[in-house]
Amino acid sequence: MDTNGNDNASGGGSSLGGGVDLAKSPGPGAGVELGRRGLPKLREIIIRNREDSECGPSDDIPELDFVYADADSLEREVSELYSFTELPEFALNQQHYSDAVSELGLDVRWPDMSEAQRTAVLLSLVDKVELARRDDRLRASRAILYISQGCWGDLHTPEEVQSWARRNALLLYKCGVLPVLIDILNLEIESGTAPVTAVRKLAVSVADSSDLRVLLSVLYLMVEQMRHVRDSDPPEEVRLRDAFTQELGQPQDTGELLAVSLLGMVSRFCSGAAPHFPMKKVLLLTWKVLLLTLGGSDQLRRLRTAARAAAGLPDVPEDTVERTRTMRASSPPPAPVEQLVDAVFGPQRPRFTRSKVVNGDAMDAMNDSTDVAEEGGKSTETGSGQPGQPDRSPPRCDSPRPETPVHHGRALPWKPKVHRRDIEEYLTVSRKKFVGFRLEDDLESMAGLPQPILEGRYILDKHLYRSLAEVQVEREEEISASPFSRPEQEVPQTPAELLFAGMLPNLPQYMIALLKVLLAAAPTSKTKSDSINILADTLPEEMPVSVLHSMKLGIDVNRQKEVIAKAVSAVLLLLLKHLKLNHVYQFEFVSQHLVFANCIPLVLKFFNQDTVQYVTAKNSISALDFPRCVLGPQVDLTSETLQLGDEQPYCWRNVFTSINLLRILNKLCKWKHSRIMMLVVFKSAPILKRSLRVKHAMMQVYTLKLLKMQTKYLGRQWRKSNMRTVSAIYSKVRHRLVDDWAFGNDLKSPGFYAYCKEVDARPWDYEAEERALRSKVDHFIARRYSPESLEELEPVDVSLSSVLATPLELTPAFKANYRRWLEREVFQQSTDWDKLIEPGYMG
Amino acid sequence: MTEAPIIRRNRPGTKQADFYGWPDELFEEMDSTLAVQQFIQQMVRRNPAAVDAILTAPEQQDEGVWKYEHLRQFCMELNGLAVKLQLGCQPDTCTQMTATEQWIFLCAAHKTPKECSAIDYTRHTLDGAACLLNSNKYFPSRVSIRESSVSKLGSVCRRVYRIFAHAYFHHRQLFDEFESETHLCRRFTTFVTKYGLMTKENLNVPILEDQAPAEESEA
Repeated sequence: MDTNGNDNASGGGSSLGGGVDLAKSPGPGAGVELGRRGLPKLREIIIRNREDSECGPSDDIPELDFVYADADSLEREVSELYSFTELPEFALNQQHYSDAVSELGLDVRWPDMSEAQRTAVLLSLVDKVELARRDDRLRASRAILYISQGCWGDLHTPEEVQSWARRNALLLYKCGVLPVLIDILNLEIESGTAPVTAVRKLAVSVADSSDLRVLLSVLYLMVEQMRHVRDSDPPEEVRLRDAFTQELGQPQDTGELLAVSLLGMVSRFCSGAAPHFPMKKVLLLTWKVLLLTLGGSDQLRRLRTAARAAAGLPDVPEDTVERTRTMRASSPPPAPVEQLVDAVFGPQRPRFTRSKVVNGDAMDAMNDSTDVAEEGGKSTETGSGQPGQPDRSPPRCDSPRPETPVHHGRALPWKPKVHRRDIEEYLTVSRKKFVGFRLEDDLESMAGLPQPILEGRYILDKHLYRSLAEVQVEREEEISASPFSRPEQEVPQTPAELLFAGMLPNLPQYMIALLKVLLAAAPTSKTKSDSINILADTLPEEMPVSVLHSMKLGIDVNRQKEVIAKAVSAVLLLLLKHLKLNHVYQFEFVSQHLVFANCIPLVLKFFNQDTVQYVTAKNSISALDFPRCVLGPQVDLTSETLQLGDEQPYCWRNVFTSINLLRILNKLCKWKHSRIMMLVVFKSAPILKRSLRVKHAMMQVYTLKLLKMQTKYLGRQWRKSNMRTVSAIYSKVRHRLVDDWAFGNDLKSPGFYAYCKEVDARPWDYEAEERALRSKVDHFIARRYSPESLEELEPVDVSLSSVLATPLELTPAFKANYRRWLEREVFQQSTDWDKLIEPGYMG
Repeated sequence: MTEAPIIRRNRPGTKQADFYGWPDELFEEMDSTLAVQQFIQQMVRRNPAAVDAILTAPEQQDEGVWKYEHLRQFCMELNGLAVKLQLGCQPDTCTQMTATEQWIFLCAAHKTPKECSAIDYTRHTLDGAACLLNSNKYFPSRVSIRESSVSKLGSVCRRVYRIFAHAYFHHRQLFDEFESETHLCRRFTTFVTKYGLMTKENLNVPILEDQAPAEESEA
């Protein structure tokens, strides 16, 4: 959009095009800017541009038309399940299937069989899955895998394969394959001969995990097919799907959730006990199981609305994912806000002088959005909403204020929010100034305050936002304050609650394991000898000799890493989002463990690369993707076919991963002063700034949010040389009405927002903040998940006769030595009982 | 003549010959929540050989409950076979759960399935089935049954059936003794076939008349 003026930049093609270009550029905004800034600024811009261009050309990146979703298309999600090394196994599976069918004396193609015959085939296979001999089992499960792949041997088009895969997945479930497979999966996890061979051999290869891979693949295919809802589904299918979802969300017969068993696999893998575990499939399955049982973003939105309604709160004003979908990306580095506004509203819009532009736009927009939100005409003179701002309210203002332009309701992407504590602070400050004394905990009395303050108060009230987390925190305080009179009602056993309870015993290990895998999958990580090998299930038994095959393997390895990173990031994000909704302290528990396991530097490390290159990487060979690799005439593998990726200008999974990781980072750092300081300490600003080059609105919003959090700690110099980023933050990120995020005094504000009050006193003590949170979380966990911790609240039995009547079993060792005990502990001990009644001893 | 109310109960001290010595009751008149079980047991007592009659559900009977109650009944009666097997089937002779020699089965009643001896398989599987069928989680009600739980019945049938198969192929005499008294295997085979819980390929005990050729193909 606004890159026209910059296209003439030569060679380096930096987006700003240098100061001269800027001067030439037709945008009036740029001209105004330059005129006001004068020569020193110009020099600065030129220097900055030189810095920028060192990072390579960025202007040729088109805006990504990536649409964020819970997962990619079904076809691609399925094809990513298989690595290219597994290609020969497709035929093997088919072979075992044909053997099984001919054993039954059936000589019919799968699509031509009657439903009863298909059931018969499946039931006889399921029977054999429970055989004791490993080879027999593997044969049967391979045949089942072939069926769940859609019996492609008898079909011709990918669409047919797809529709049969769907039908077969339903049939598999109807035949009770799910519990049997999970049983056998547990068997393979626990025993299995593979570890012995894997530990003995130095290099673990794809052959070591064949049993597990087959089982996980079948489960994955079932889950993935069940996950996809179509409007045309008959009610029978809907019922089956609901039953399936419910079954996965309930603990298995072993008392463990499937998702928890899978996370257990990840942590065992990371401990080195099971190097043969096929991590990619385990993680993909974990992700999809969570997605199915907990629900994706639609479900999250429904749950959030319901939970907020139950807490008596209105629905959230807008959904981040939805809203960013309609936003436009800034060009990298982000254009100043004027240009953006021009592009949206046309250049004829009257301008302010430079000094007022940013604020003016923001304020106008704010007024507008309040206008939209409110029916009364009162808010036309609400410009004075900000404390400390010069009075700008239009009727009394001398400066020629233009007509408020019509913004079509999209001037500001987000409705600004105000925290309750902002209002408290605002009133305290105003009272101190106008009244002269403090009124604690009184938000009502407005006596003695002048009209502008009242108006400001009115605006703040209108934007007051109460989060579900605050409600939960307050409720938790209430429960611990009065455990008997206001005890916790029965906790609803939601899927998220069940999952958390299931994960709780080993939760730290799971988090560490997930991060370890993510680290190993990060594109920037160097292969160290001691790090875990997540590629075991791509490596063939014999290393390739030809160049072509090593190229293929190279692509396969990169693809594997990308898919793993995608799965881990999605798992973490899903966990955080659902737990936050379920109970904020569950979320805090998980996020604290993530932070302790160095999640923040890890994610930053992930972005410390050429993100643009990462999101456009092409590590795929579409000719080898399932089902193309088994349907129709097979192309010979040449270097040309290797080059034939899909036509998309970006790599879906990598954009998805990047956005997920940014969201995770946002979730971890939001309102957490100590963690924001970690962002500063790890020098995240230049890293994040670089990832702004990816022209995708959602990704930029999340990046800008991270930058916004830390802006005030980055110093004047940084702000000065990054005004464009600052402007982008203004135009893209939600405003907090009284938050002085960019220029605020860094010692005052953070504690002011953190919802742990006691931290307020010492906002610079970061450890204290984490500790305070930790103790609250621990208290919550102990209270809800280990009821014995409440025993101290039970009344103590003080009746002598009943205490003595309690049967007590003494240990044989004690019985044998009780005389010595008596001697030492009773007779030799002298207790000064009088001390007890001395004043001050017992308070 | 005033009719004394019939008490359908085996009082302590009842002689074995007098057990269940009360007249049959119509299904419609059974008013307990356990009517289906009561009805099935009544039919079995009347004539265990009348397999089809036993398996004919009363009109408007919920099929899920019907299958569930029958499976319960099978598992209970199978304990009789298990008792007989304990006499002949020793863990050191039948070290593995086999039917025909070809296949050895895992015992699925454990956290992770493992290889048990035949008699242990029998005990574990029957225990496991009893646990499952009585579990509050899957079968909280005996009046209506969730669909997701009905799907569990198939695998119980498959696992339980292997007990018949083992007895038939390895302890033929015990099996015949038991079968002539109870006709349980015949009833079970008819049951699973009728409700499609297992397919005839898996039913390798040639107990039904039309099933005779199956033995050759399996052997």
